[in-house]
Amino acid sequence: MPQQNPIALPRRHAMHRMACWLAWAAGTTSKAWAQTDNPLDTQAAIPQQVNAQLAEQWRALSRLGYGASAALVADIQSAPNARAWALRQLDTAHNASQSAPALTAELQDINAPLPEIFEGAQRERQARASIKAGTDLVGKGAASEGMHQRLDFSTSPETQNFNRTMVEKTAVWRLQACSQSELENPLLARMTEFWFNHLNVYIGKGPVRPFVGHYLIHVARAHALGTFENLLLASARHPAMLHYLDQAQSVAEGTRGAQGNTRGLNENYARELMELHTLGVDGGYSQTDVRELAKVLTGWTVGPTSSDGFRFVMRWHEGGSKRVMGHVYPDGFFGRGEAEGVQAIRMLARHPSTAHRLSLRLAQFFVADTPSPELVQRLSQSFIDNKGDIKRWMQTLIESEEFWDASNRLFKTPMDFACSALTATQGAQDRKNLLLTLGFLNNAGQPLHGWQTPDGYKTDAATWLAPEALTRRADYALQLARHSEDVDFLQPYFSLATLQTVAAQRAGLRNGLLLASPDFMYK
Amino acid sequence: MSPIDTYALPRRNFLATLAAAGSAWAAPACWAQNSAADASGRLVVVFLRGAYDGLSALVPHGDSNYYALRPSIAIAAPDGNGLAAIRLDSTFGLHPALAPLMPLWQQGVLGVIPAAGSPDPTRSHFDAQHHWETGLPGHGGAANGWMNTLASLRTNAPAADGKAHAIALGVGEANPQILSGGAPVQLVPRGQAATRQGALGDSRTRDAVMQLYAGQDRLSQAFRAGADSRMQTAQTLNADMADPAMASKEMLAANNGAGSAQGLLLDAQHLGTLMRQDRRLRLGFLSAGGWDTHANQGSATGTLANNLGNLAATLTQLRRDFSQSGDVVVVCSEFGRTSAENGTRGTDHGHGNALWIMGNQVQGGRWHGNWTGLAPGNLHEGRDLPVHHDFRAVFAQILRRTQGLGNAELDRLFPGFSWDSSLDRLLQG
Repeated sequence: MPQQNPIALPRRHAMHRMACWLAWAAGTTSKAWAQTDNPLDTQAAIPQQVNAQLAEQWRALSRLGYGASAALVADIQSAPNARAWALRQLDTAHNASQSAPALTAELQDINAPLPEIFEGAQRERQARASIKAGTDLVGKGAASEGMHQRLDFSTSPETQNFNRTMVEKTAVWRLQACSQSELENPLLARMTEFWFNHLNVYIGKGPVRPFVGHYLIHVARAHALGTFENLLLASARHPAMLHYLDQAQSVAEGTRGAQGNTRGLNENYARELMELHTLGVDGGYSQTDVRELAKVLTGWTVGPTSSDGFRFVMRWHEGGSKRVMGHVYPDGFFGRGEAEGVQAIRMLARHPSTAHRLSLRLAQFFVADTPSPELVQRLSQSFIDNKGDIKRWMQTLIESEEFWDASNRLFKTPMDFACSALTATQGAQDRKNLLLTLGFLNNAGQPLHGWQTPDGYKTDAATWLAPEALTRRADYALQLARHSEDVDFLQPYFSLATLQTVAAQRAGLRNGLLLASPDFMYK
Repeated sequence: MSPIDTYALPRRNFLATLAAAGSAWAAPACWAQNSAADASGRLVVVFLRGAYDGLSALVPHGDSNYYALRPSIAIAAPDGNGLAAIRLDSTFGLHPALAPLMPLWQQGVLGVIPAAGSPDPTRSHFDAQHHWETGLPGHGGAANGWMNTLASLRTNAPAADGKAHAIALGVGEANPQILSGGAPVQLVPRGQAATRQGALGDSRTRDAVMQLYAGQDRLSQAFRAGADSRMQTAQTLNADMADPAMASKEMLAANNGAGSAQGLLLDAQHLGTLMRQDRRLRLGFLSAGGWDTHANQGSATGTLANNLGNLAATLTQLRRDFSQSGDVVVVCSEFGRTSAENGTRGTDHGHGNALWIMGNQVQGGRWHGNWTGLAPGNLHEGRDLPVHHDFRAVFAQILRRTQGLGNAELDRLFPGFSWDSSLDRLLQG
């Protein structure tokens, strides 16, 4: 499309917009940012980002956070350039991860000490057991249930709804954290999402439910820019993960349970630890390794009264020598016990297959659905050289040309889309908007904390660029923007075609259309 | 293996699988002669994600090993008690929660293959599902789904507007791998959301949004297809609900939109309605998670029993809409579970599994194929049911007889698979 004069749009924030228009007009090369061999995009007529600087701003805001708000646009434009801003974010995010999250008073429960959360769950079990069977209260409370009327935490929750209230508070925190930069650094929210998804737990599994918020904060967020080893260990020892993949129940063969019945091994966690959390399915382990690792981890279970929610039970631990991927965990007093599991997890965390698998996932999350092997290799080397230091690894990513290369496109997931729409409209303080967002995420196939299996959500266009799911985005955007402030600050980042179409519509529809436009679907 | 993998790690058994498949076409003569079979059949695949425990659904009560391997989760041998298996024959029984399927079994329209699956031995859900959905066991790379390839072989004539009409319908997932590819597919969301037009129901809003997506790029095309499909789907489903005979159906759904085994029933109702109202739709896909039972799976009652109860209701529902001559419904899962229970009264990832097929042409009321029992020496790696029958061979039988697919077409769907003549009596004709 030929360059034209900017079209007339509603007058507001005139000075800011003029500056943007000037920046836009200055870019005369009119290079579509879609020069790519990705078959999805060969015909992309969409975002014609004419100014490389604006394109880099959009990319930094959308990938190292959840997109632009008026405040974030001002912030990034005050930096020398988007790359400098991105590196600065890395320090800010790292510092933020070391302090407690800015939870409002009504959400503090999700960050309560673990023994209190165990107690709440226990009280709920007792309350439900005492309610007559067949009463409607019992058995309700799947991930989405209740969300549509609730999110009102002004009264203290009924004992029998403790878990559901924790789920809802966790959801509110996620949406606030991803869209309000004054509450949570956007890059930290992004990294928290990445790690949560990599070490997924599912809110629909009964015993997991009250712990998901705590897991987000103390596993994914706290270690988001620390070392992978510590992150993985924190995940392995957290009640949410111990329950989710049934590790809490796995004991040495022939162990006597409380009711005198015989119990034994459960392979679930050991398998997914190798297949998904670390090595990858082709990472060089066998079924025997799965079994042996499961034995190494026997005795790792939840500790309802301990401050970290973890307990090692020596009498549940499988004795004898074990061998996992060539590493021998010998029999005998010094070899046995909790330390075996810690050693095995550290070994897996340091393995070159792990470095490769994580680097591929990181590059897919931040750069392109099919990142170049060179980038993955470089990230992998950085991971190994820095002993899994995530901040340094991220620095390698941000300093790579691939991250900034306009031909590496990424399509927003529903979560990206929702968080970026909330960021743009600053809508997360309104309870109705939060309910709307949770409903959208359910309909679009990415319910919050609602992925059942330990592989986490996919992040590629092949998954999310699906006809039906796209129209749900338009619904959501149009509803969300109905009562929001204007989002004119987005205009400099959008194509002329979109701006012309939007400008021709009645005023009440324009904000929604900007958010529903093709331009806003990419990050 | 993905093209960007820089690690040259051994791909388990991939080469072995290819080598075995190399002997491919041992197709019997009768198979080549029948290519004019009725080609009007419709195929519905119900995929139970997470690996359902077939040894609880199709109970091998005649095998004492079963009770030895599963001291706390086995289904009791048939004794007429409502919590015991329902006797099918001296070898097998049905889980009591599947009792609603007995009439279908007795009518001879429901059959089962006790030990089917993918020849690739992976115990990864995600790899195994990918193999099933692409029709390429052992192959992890990008590929179209085989139901999409099948749709491309059976494309409808373009309508007056020049657009090809979808023949494949998927309910419940944004973009299931099995339906991914170049052929047009109608996709419908889970649960009640399928019945709502949303903001696009307002014509002025819709026009404005459509103008944003007027381009010829992939995103714009997908958006327009989605908007068309949504309006049409919502209209069809709402019209159907307005019909008093159908109105109560929506009340049956236990769990809306959760993507669970419970939600499967509502999705099946929507699939049935849409494929009944639009006869151009001939391939249907449904799925539900929640079948991965590592702990406390229960036996006659419990988690798995609840899921099986919903599956039975789903199949009964599907039978109402898919009871014409060539219609076939298949129920399958990525792999089976361990023959023995684990230490937490559940089961871990296994290999072979029971695969169900339902339809008028199915030689039902009996089981098909090979069954070698649960004696230790007969188990895969000493722990799982073996895969006696490749899932591709099962689908080849179905597609050959109900869709009239020829050799070359089957080989396009399932490159290099072998015809399994021991299943030649799975369907009539």
